[in-house]
Amino acid sequence: MDHNEDVIHPMLPAKLRTSLAEHIARVDHPRELVVDVMFAIQDQFGFLSDEAVEEVAQLLNMSPLEVEELATFYTFIYREPVGKYVIHVCDSVVCWMDGYESIQDHLRSKLGIEMGETTSDGLFTLLPVCCIGYCDRSPAILINKEVYGPLTPEKLDEILENLRAQG
Amino acid sequence: MPKLIIDDREIEVPAGTKVIEAAERLGIKIPRFCYHPGLGSVGACRVCAVKFLEGPFKGVQMSCMIDAKDGMVVSTTDEEAVNFRQYVIEWLMLNHPHDCPVCDEGGHCLLQDMTVSGGHGIRRYLGLKRTYHDQYLGPLVQHEMNRCIHCYRCSRFYQEFTGYHDLGVMQIGSRTFFGRYQDGTLESPFAGNLSDICPTGVYTDKPSRFFGRRWDYQRSPSICINCSLGCHTVASGRYREVVRQEARYSEAVNGYFICDRGRYGFFYTSNEERPRQALVDGKEVSYDQAIREAREKLGELIKSTGPDAVACVSSERSSLETQAMLKKICQTKGWQGPHYFLDESMAQKVKSASSRLESGLAVSLRELESADFILVIGADPVNEAPMLALAMRQAQRRGGKIAVIDPRPVSLPFEFHHLNVTPNEVNLCASLLVKTAVDLGAATDLEQPGIEFYQAIPKLETVSSSLQEQIAKVAQELKESKRPIIVCGTETVRQTTPALAADHALLLQATNKQAGLFYLLPGANSFSASLLASEDGSFLETLEGIENGTIKGLILVERDLLLHFHDRQRMELAFEKLELLVVLDYVNSRTQQRAHIFLPTSTLYEAGGIFITQEGRLQVVPRAHLSGTPIAQVSGGNHPPRIYESEIPGGEPRPGWQALAELVHEEPQPDENTTRSSVLNGLSELNPAFATIPAIDELPEDGMRVSSPEESSPRFSLDWIHELERKESPDKSLELVLVNWTFSTEELSQYSPPLMKLEKEAAVFMHVDDATSLGLSDSDKVTILLDRGALEASVSVKENMAPGIIVMPRHRLLEWQKIETLPKFVSHEEIKKVSV
Ligand code: SF4
Ligand code: SF4
Ligand code: FES
Ligand code: FES
Repeated sequence: MDHNEDVIHPMLPAKLRTSLAEHIARVDHPRELVVDVMFAIQDQFGFLSDEAVEEVAQLLNMSPLEVEELATFYTFIYREPVGKYVIHVCDSVVCWMDGYESIQDHLRSKLGIEMGETTSDGLFTLLPVCCIGYCDRSPAILINKEVYGPLTPEKLDEILENLRAQG
Repeated sequence: MPKLIIDDREIEVPAGTKVIEAAERLGIKIPRFCYHPGLGSVGACRVCAVKFLEGPFKGVQMSCMIDAKDGMVVSTTDEEAVNFRQYVIEWLMLNHPHDCPVCDEGGHCLLQDMTVSGGHGIRRYLGLKRTYHDQYLGPLVQHEMNRCIHCYRCSRFYQEFTGYHDLGVMQIGSRTFFGRYQDGTLESPFAGNLSDICPTGVYTDKPSRFFGRRWDYQRSPSICINCSLGCHTVASGRYREVVRQEARYSEAVNGYFICDRGRYGFFYTSNEERPRQALVDGKEVSYDQAIREAREKLGELIKSTGPDAVACVSSERSSLETQAMLKKICQTKGWQGPHYFLDESMAQKVKSASSRLESGLAVSLRELESADFILVIGADPVNEAPMLALAMRQAQRRGGKIAVIDPRPVSLPFEFHHLNVTPNEVNLCASLLVKTAVDLGAATDLEQPGIEFYQAIPKLETVSSSLQEQIAKVAQELKESKRPIIVCGTETVRQTTPALAADHALLLQATNKQAGLFYLLPGANSFSASLLASEDGSFLETLEGIENGTIKGLILVERDLLLHFHDRQRMELAFEKLELLVVLDYVNSRTQQRAHIFLPTSTLYEAGGIFITQEGRLQVVPRAHLSGTPIAQVSGGNHPPRIYESEIPGGEPRPGWQALAELVHEEPQPDENTTRSSVLNGLSELNPAFATIPAIDELPEDGMRVSSPEESSPRFSLDWIHELERKESPDKSLELVLVNWTFSTEELSQYSPPLMKLEKEAAVFMHVDDATSLGLSDSDKVTILLDRGALEASVSVKENMAPGIIVMPRHRLLEWQKIETLPKFVSHEEIKKVSV
């Protein structure tokens, strides 16, 4: 069945679209690429908009719902605009034993935002994440996919300072 | 077969049976949410916990996930299991609103039942509950997402079982949301089943919302007559109207589900405009007076011109009892007819389908699910008989391959090969396919005519090379199959196709395949009509008789000629010539409004009746409630009037068979049950095929097959080959192919307000090549000049259909009845683009 009889207005830059389309044409089961395609678009725009979801669906002959199911399942796909630095605080069991809650509290008060929010200068977004496989460095966080840990409030301050300095 | 003990009782079940099912056979219903016998197990909800005391598993386990095994000893009442289930329910109830009184599921809610029976009566959780926004899902299903317990039945049903992808599950954890990407009408024509399978009130039946609780309803087993499959339903009536219809399990026909046309096709029965009073010249009279006048007028007519000045026409939506009564009357009175089919070629197709459906070939809808190859010859399942598509999808999910030979732009919710050949090529294409797949050398006991038939099939080279390639590819799959089934339609195929399909099924059987045959017929009771139809005379001859004045009286039983006949203008002129037009019906059709004498008949829900499906399965429908104007219509939304009467207001309609009996017999007639029994007792005189049918109260739940006496039509006829030589299509003109759509074309469901909201705009389909040469593009408006004038429609341009045709739906809002003769060809000059 063709899910996309109505053509959606393209929002992707032609170059990205062509390269994605070529990549898709090379595989037997296009839908296996859905996460890669979502990441490629997110890398370009910083997040995955509704238009992007629809475009992914069209590229892979899936329904927008099927793309949305995956987009909203995966922690690292952002369906809303995020800050320049996305801080994922691990809240799984080892980090919990090692006190992730104080890390989270510290971040919230330092940045003045709640989990799920972005600072008004657009620099930082705070999000939870489940175990990222760095239990040996717990409590651990990810900032733009880079790991930091084991953390203390002092170390956090230093990290935030550095990032602020970089702007 | 494993033997196990559940709650101290032993039971033996087939291998592969889950413990939850084994318990059910003992009458023990283990709680369940995610498990549904139609969908299988996933182990998501944890409420079916039981304790395994002995055997390969020990301790508390999910009974829906474990196959019954020898030596198992299971307890459903063990304290540990009982506590486990109670906690699961309590935890599912954390977020569930505590407002059953305002939830439309209350009263038939699995969660409600489980919560009460599981022993969770006091709420301990005092925190906030998670809430969601609900979505608009269209006219059939209401969404209330706060009630969800995350069992996943809906998304599994919608995506895996039906193959549609606009409803599913998004987000994770406590945000998990079941619904659509955006608000909008559900695309699946099986969406109504969501209301049945959701164990809580997330999806409820929208048209009947807040009308009553289950215990308020008079619930009655029924069947669907909106197509020829005859799916099983439960009709829920209240205050003299059917307000809801649900799927009823049938092992042989529809399994657990039905389509939305069937679920919501019933509104004709309580339609406000439905004529419930007898009419003479448009004036309301008593039933008896109308009968008296009709009898008098018929008498005069017969006296002056003879009995053959009266003709009778019935339809494929009348019950067997009514059809048979009319037949008997025609026989005894010497009246002409009855005709059940308007188109002689259709009558022949149905006749050949019903006579060729030998018991060795016929398969049920459920049996189709286990085919490993399905060859569809001239059918469009979703549009003609939606549940056929669902059964085919199950075959495909089990690895079956599917090929469709049809000129229309067929769309199905699964992968299939589409051989979109022209209507003329359908027979050839099917034959080439079977010939390529069948190795005659391997054929055991194929009779000589079969061998000749095989040899007469032309060479593969007669068709284009691209078609050859497609055929070869599909033929390979057919060759490898063990249980192939041929599905053959009757709507758009040539007259020879049904017989050809049967011959091909025989060829496949001769090569040691367990081949089956499955026909689609045009109406719910076409099979029965064809068993009763007489060989001589056609409707067209009757029409000519009216036109030349030899027929002066016409009796129409549940038949709307102005809707179904392809030349409405001619029909109207013929009506004007009639001295007497008697109409018996339960809908306010155009034809009904033309009657000199009108007698209201009762619907299936009020009269019950027998219907024979396309498979020859005779099914008895009991009455659901008595005839009468729905109280909502009498009271205008207020309390019903306090008038004391012995009659039910609006209760005049009588079963078709009864009204007919009264119409012809001078003496007072026995009650309708006695009349019915006497018609049924005389059935085998009308067709010996009925002789094998037991008394109707002895029929099994799923009915039983009537097969017409075998050898009645010859096998392996070569007529179709002669037909190939005739080149029908005048050059450069397009053949008009009239088709049905899921919604908007079927007669009874046209009276359904919720289904009207699902109708697509009336559009005609055209192949891209034809559109290009006509200078048309998609969505253009055109006028098409037919014999009796032009009609306007928008064009939908398709690549996946045959060139050389225009596919036109018999859409409620399209006046297609302007055709002098069928088949009809339209030249390029007769198609004009409407400039805006
Ligand atoms: S909406 Fe109903 S069927 Fe779907 S997951 Fe929730 S409770 Fe189950
Ligand atoms: S498939 Fe046909 S018989 Fe079955 S529910 Fe639908 S319309 Fe009714
Ligand atoms: S629990 Fe935090 S990284 Fe594993
Ligand atoms: S019914 Fe067994 S886990 Fe849900």
